[in-house]
Amino acid sequence: MLKELREDKVRTFSIFASLLLTAFILTLIVCIVTHTTGQALALSMLTAEIRFAIELSLLTSATSTLLCIAISIPAAYALARYEFRGKSLINTILDAPLALPPLVAGVGLLILFGTTSFGKGLAEQGLVFVFTPLGIVIAQFFVNVPFMFRILKGTFQGINPRYEHVAKTLGCTDGQAFWRVTLPMSKHGLLAGSVITWSKGIGEFGAALMLAGATRMKTETLPISLYLNMSCGELNLAIAAATILIVISLVSLFIFERYGGFAHVF
Amino acid sequence: MIRIENVSKDLGEFFLRDISLEIQDQEYFVILGPTGAGKSILLETLAGIFRPDTGKIFVDDREITNVPPRERNIGMVYQDYTLFPFLTVEENIGFGLKSRKMEKSTIKRKVDELTSLLGIEQLGHRYPGTLSGGEQQKVAIARAIAIEPKILLLDEPLSALDSRTRDYLREELKRVKRKFGITMVHVTHDQTEALVLADRIAVLMHGKVMQVGTPYEIFSKPQTEELADFVGIENILRGMVQRTENGVAEIEIEIHGKIRAVSEIHEGAVKVFIRPEDILLCKSKSECSARNVMGGRITDLQDIGPLTRVTLDTNLVSLITKQSRAELQLQQGDPIYATFKATSAHVVSA
Repeated sequence: MLKELREDKVRTFSIFASLLLTAFILTLIVCIVTHTTGQALALSMLTAEIRFAIELSLLTSATSTLLCIAISIPAAYALARYEFRGKSLINTILDAPLALPPLVAGVGLLILFGTTSFGKGLAEQGLVFVFTPLGIVIAQFFVNVPFMFRILKGTFQGINPRYEHVAKTLGCTDGQAFWRVTLPMSKHGLLAGSVITWSKGIGEFGAALMLAGATRMKTETLPISLYLNMSCGELNLAIAAATILIVISLVSLFIFERYGGFAHVF
Repeated sequence: MIRIENVSKDLGEFFLRDISLEIQDQEYFVILGPTGAGKSILLETLAGIFRPDTGKIFVDDREITNVPPRERNIGMVYQDYTLFPFLTVEENIGFGLKSRKMEKSTIKRKVDELTSLLGIEQLGHRYPGTLSGGEQQKVAIARAIAIEPKILLLDEPLSALDSRTRDYLREELKRVKRKFGITMVHVTHDQTEALVLADRIAVLMHGKVMQVGTPYEIFSKPQTEELADFVGIENILRGMVQRTENGVAEIEIEIHGKIRAVSEIHEGAVKVFIRPEDILLCKSKSECSARNVMGGRITDLQDIGPLTRVTLDTNLVSLITKQSRAELQLQQGDPIYATFKATSAHVVSA
């Protein structure tokens, strides 16, 4: 009896803690979206500035996600399938951007692209990253690529190499076996990775701010817009940007939970 | 003919050491061995998934050691089916034909032929995840033979199935071999499977081929004690050959006294292997017809399926039918005579 009561107490206390946390998060979201009227919100969303921010955010995050996919597929495959010298070191380094504060990453990117001969060489070829939308793409890519990499690595590790073996006996080259068998079997991981990389890209602020700056109607993504408008008291515009970011986050979270439940991000 | 010459491969935990084998055309060849013996690597090396560290592999006198899997014309079936989960049964079976750039209508015709041959024509549009284990394995077999391979490699193909499905699929495998004239190389740890299916068996242990022979040679005439133990020979006696006459040796065995056994070894220390089912039991010495009779007491009776395993205080083990047990009215502690023929004992030098 006493034992049951004690178990009951644990149950009551732990459920209470979870409810408290839920209430805190919900309150926060409700606070933002109800801070202004629906009409004001709608009007703000139609302004040229917010429309620009939406477009730039969509474009940069989609581009950086594609970049993440393009490099993570081969890199994750190598680390999932092959043994080679320095593998564990590479594994750790590839995860490093996760632990690095985005602002620090941004400083690094700024130094690399702004001051080194490598960065200057790229700029001479027309690839200017400092204070340009291209900088936003690179900042998003650098900060978020570990998410894609880790999810894909987990996905590839979860696929028995025997599928590829069979495909090879059935006439595939190594590349074809990957393309026709492993990649289709990874589609959930790929989707989950893309969604999380994309949504984190849309929300990326610190590194982008450092490298691309916060110039109205030039490098103004949604988070930059939120920051700029908050600083100058344009509350309606700021809330509009925040609301869009909330919607994107919630939808992404839903898709990720639906398809990426098996993938290990951390 | 497949010829494997001195093949070694080291993958850390699993390895092959100096494997040499010859497998004849259209033979049903079983590679038998305990878990971790290196059976799967041997098969995957034959398929071209792994390249041997040393040694060569030939098929019909053409060296294929460095030929990629896709050019070997070898089919592969795994224990866990490895059907492509995102393709239907038809698409799975047609996978290899599509790789060979065959026309859609030809692929369709071949897939239909195979599904009807294996009795899975009603499953064509289903996805592998919705099929039973037996059905999935049939699809995997159909997929492997669709490319008309000369050789079919089977890695524990029946091990994940329930016993009825296993019996049924065993017959299917034999039928496939007869119909298409494919050389089958089948890896298993299951001795019954090896006994039922094999034309010849190679026993693989610790990455080495221990013995190659017909099922009779492997199960009744193993060459070492380890092999004897592996194939279930529970009676291993040690003794000295006293003399031989007309190919029958008189061997002095500790505790048991003199026995007679057909032997090619004429002197020295020997081991005598006798399968438990070759040891018969009788209540009185006079009823025993065989030349070797040994008295003892029953220390244990154990039912295993339709058989009873009888252990004697002389450490001999006999397998008898339940019917014999009832007729002899055997009880623990009973005095009993164990008897076996001179031809049932296999003698190797110690």
